Amino acid sequence: MAINSDQDIVAARQKGRALATELGFTTGDATLIATAISELARNIVSYARKGEISLKMVHGSSRQGILIIASDSGPGIRDIRQAMRDGFSTSGSLGLGLPGVRRLMDEFEISSEPSQGTIVRVKKWKQ
Amino acid sequence: MKTAAKRRGKTPANFEEEYRSAFGEYTRSGGEAALGRAYELGRRAITEKKSFMEIAFMHHQAIYGMLAEAQGAAQHQELLKAAGDFLAEMLSPYEMAHRGVQDAIAALRHLNETLEEEIKRIAYAVHDEAGQLLVAVHLALADVARELPERHKEQMGRVEELLNQVEKQLRRYSHELRPTVLDDLGWIPAIRFLAEGVSKRANLPIHIKVAFAGRLPSTTEVALYRVVQEALTNAVKHAKAGNIWVRAWRDEFVLCCSIRDDGAGFDVRALQATGCRKGLGLIGMQERLSAIGGTVRIESHRGRGTELLIRLPLEDAYANSRGAR
Repeated sequence: MAINSDQDIVAARQKGRALATELGFTTGDATLIATAISELARNIVSYARKGEISLKMVHGSSRQGILIIASDSGPGIRDIRQAMRDGFSTSGSLGLGLPGVRRLMDEFEISSEPSQGTIVRVKKWKQ
Repeated sequence: MKTAAKRRGKTPANFEEEYRSAFGEYTRSGGEAALGRAYELGRRAITEKKSFMEIAFMHHQAIYGMLAEAQGAAQHQELLKAAGDFLAEMLSPYEMAHRGVQDAIAALRHLNETLEEEIKRIAYAVHDEAGQLLVAVHLALADVARELPERHKEQMGRVEELLNQVEKQLRRYSHELRPTVLDDLGWIPAIRFLAEGVSKRANLPIHIKVAFAGRLPSTTEVALYRVVQEALTNAVKHAKAGNIWVRAWRDEFVLCCSIRDDGAGFDVRALQATGCRKGLGLIGMQERLSAIGGTVRIESHRGRGTELLIRLPLEDAYANSRGAR
């Protein structure tokens, strides 16, 4: 799904929530998943202006989960460790932004190259 | 995001109005867009430092307003269900922030423990290791003094005197870092000892009045000592105080300790709002006290000094008095 407008974000949230519900996530967890999607989309729009979000169902050894991949070809992040620290950005200092997404989800991976873009992959498993 | 950017660029609409509008949209027609607005509102509430209770109150007001318009039990029920969904969506950024705070507290607790260990180590190094080195220097100097012609002996005496002062200072610093008095005699004598040193160095009177006797568990005494130590440091460093008063007393089953100064004071809310670095000392104090079941309240106004009030329920005392009845 391309992300470059408010409508795109709403569509991504809706798909995420629908997939989560279909997989049997609780309403609360589905809300947190929608929130993570919003934060990732917001990050794309703020730093790269446009990008993509894709959602997938994943299977673990004994459980099911949801995988969200947010990618953009924006300016990238020079120092990922710094970017993941609370307090690096205004939203981070409030516990929001990427550090916030990491806390909402079970798994979090980020890779980025300066001037190449950024890919964030997060997973949440059904409890 | 164009419209959101435009929304953000303009003077933001009154929060309450926006809340009622988004809430109205959701109760009327549902949909992800309205839930997205709820999430945006939650995020905005956090950046605007709106408290959780404010939000809950506003939410209830909005429900009351709509209940009046809704007709019949079915509509009421629908409205309440929608209200729950909307509130959960709005609170999810709070959940994110809350997890961040919990992580920060855990990190701070760990940091406190590490610091306490490190302080012990440094206190030991200053007292024992540096002390032994000084003894060696004394001995070496005595050897040299024996060889010296009479006219230099007086100078050597002055050097020895200076060394004695260094030794005394080092011992004092080491005790203030981790006072043996604290372990041997308790937090009150330890604070008296600390206050004496601080008062002398900063050249400002510290008045101590204690109406509390008896020892407390060691972790409690260490925590109380550290909080008072931090408060005294703040009063000296930032407040430019002329006097400091430390009082400890018992209010039924609660131990109270107040540290007050007549210095510059500050805007408590502004400091807490800035979060990070400056407020960290206060958060550290709160964290130390909450670990032993206590609280700290800070009261300060520009130009009217600062008072820190520590309250700590004394469970044993409570249990004993209950048992005695």
